[in-house]
Amino acid sequence: MSKVILEVKGVEKIYNPGQPNEVRAVKGIDLKVHKGDFIAIVGPSGSGKTTFLDILGCLLRPSKGKVIIDGKETERLSEDGLARVRREKLGFVFQQYNLIPTFTALENVSLALRVAGKSKKSAEKRARELLEFVGLGKRLNHPAGLLSGGEQQRVAIARALANEPEIILADEPTGNLDSKSGKQVLELMKWLNLEKGYTFVVVTHDPEITRYSNRVIYLKDGKIIKEIIKKDRRIIRLDRLIK
Amino acid sequence: MLDVALKNITRVKTRSFLTILGILIGIAAIVALGAIAGGIEATVQKSMETAAGKIIVFQKGSSVITGFSGSEITDENVEEIREIPGVKEVIPMLFSIRRRGSNLIEATTVIGISPEKIDYFKGKEVGMEEGRELEEGDTDSVIIGKDVADEENLEVGDEIEIAGEYFTVVGIIEKTGDNDIDRGIIAPIEELKDAMKAESYPVVFVIPEDVGGAEALAEDIKDLFENFEAMTEKEIARQVSRLLTNIRFFTFGIGGIAAVVGGLGVMNTMIMTVMERRKEIGVLKAIGATNRMILRQFLLEASLLALIGGILGLFFGSVAVGILILFSAFAVAPVITPALAIGSLIFAFLLGLVGGFYPAWKAAKLDPVVALRYE
Repeated sequence: MSKVILEVKGVEKIYNPGQPNEVRAVKGIDLKVHKGDFIAIVGPSGSGKTTFLDILGCLLRPSKGKVIIDGKETERLSEDGLARVRREKLGFVFQQYNLIPTFTALENVSLALRVAGKSKKSAEKRARELLEFVGLGKRLNHPAGLLSGGEQQRVAIARALANEPEIILADEPTGNLDSKSGKQVLELMKWLNLEKGYTFVVVTHDPEITRYSNRVIYLKDGKIIKEIIKKDRRIIRLDRLIK
Repeated sequence: MLDVALKNITRVKTRSFLTILGILIGIAAIVALGAIAGGIEATVQKSMETAAGKIIVFQKGSSVITGFSGSEITDENVEEIREIPGVKEVIPMLFSIRRRGSNLIEATTVIGISPEKIDYFKGKEVGMEEGRELEEGDTDSVIIGKDVADEENLEVGDEIEIAGEYFTVVGIIEKTGDNDIDRGIIAPIEELKDAMKAESYPVVFVIPEDVGGAEALAEDIKDLFENFEAMTEKEIARQVSRLLTNIRFFTFGIGGIAAVVGGLGVMNTMIMTVMERRKEIGVLKAIGATNRMILRQFLLEASLLALIGGILGLFFGSVAVGILILFSAFAVAPVITPALAIGSLIFAFLLGLVGGFYPAWKAAKLDPVVALRYE
């Protein structure tokens, strides 16, 4: 078994505790994410998927339980400390891409590197490499808002990769894409997973994603009700991916 | 991340332009009004230098500010003042406004003074650009300030009309920076008195034997003549500085209000910007930006907007002042001092910081989860 890079123990999230509108969104989840995993978290709306992903991403503090990233407990970290964890260990991909539409692809990716303290020059150099890496070498100076959905999501993936994260957390990455571009984005993610060793945790409704995953976790009412672990991580043949 | 801030400003061009315009108007007002106040101050200060050591006597109710109009001191009074112990010299002076066209701003002041006492008015060190000084026994002669010569295209030997009589220009005084001299015409007092058919003088200068005794002498004069005011240069300086304080208060008050309104514009713009870019702030937080980074970035944008407004305001304010100097022979030359220029830029920058603080703080405090899911 490879190294555990993210672990949650008995995580719970209660919104408005003690109020009439109290919501128990996550009810005691344990999970270990190993280096090289491609985990799909599926479940119906309201099952607590997104809340759980926000907790994994250190965007939301759990009401109970522990989140341990790369061996470090995060519960006592200040807001700045959590920001640092996100900056150094985590990458995010969103359903809506969340790029700055008037900034070019290059500027969008650079921004993540600038936030991490890189100079403009070195940020742009690395951003260029990353965009070439995700197949957008010819779109560097296009305003992000003018790119297609699939291209925008690839820019977002390049941005998520910018600071060499341990884990990339994706919230419905194909949710806004047609099936063809959705598939391209998934294949890029799988390629990054298999060939470059990046770890993914993806929250999704898309059954297609489960085919690309080595672990599928089913969530219902804030609890894990089932987990499928596939023995063969290379379930998708690489020769199919690279064409 | 200055380049990012600049880029963000250009994302909403019209709004940024209007915000900059708000600051621009305020700072331009401060610069222009401040320059005029500075000009008045410089002129007054220059006049004060030449007034050193003397006492100015005029009738109560008139003042230096109104040019001593209505003040009457007779030859008899002059003789009486001369009798007072401690008086070295008594120098009667006459003033007449010589209009050129209908514009009062373009008027020049004609000063009547005894030729041999002229140094008490213009200062010994001030020399002649052309021609000669007025001399005892000169009749129908005047010397003129450099600005008068330039504006009316006058040379030594030319004739000018004052109060219906003609006088010959015998000399042009070198440029001094003191408007009373540069924009003045100096004539022998007796001739001017005849031309103006004046029976009295608005002002007499009293030179004390001992400069240190000026204050006491001024008191003696006031005791002797109930309806006369006698002021040493110190007192005048006090009066003038009170007036200047008022002028400065007024000009910076107006400019300041305009600029504060501009600062509110910055705040308004930044509040809208933060609302619109909520999602982006969420992303920035997700990719690891700390609250402080977000605060700094939005403060940078706000202060950049204000600083651009400040720089443009300084430019257009200076242009306005330039136009003022060029197209009107304004009685005071407006001065844009380095302190005024730098001060107005710092003020603009501070307006941006103060106006931008609340929105930037709101941005920094946004919950990333809420911000990210905002539609």
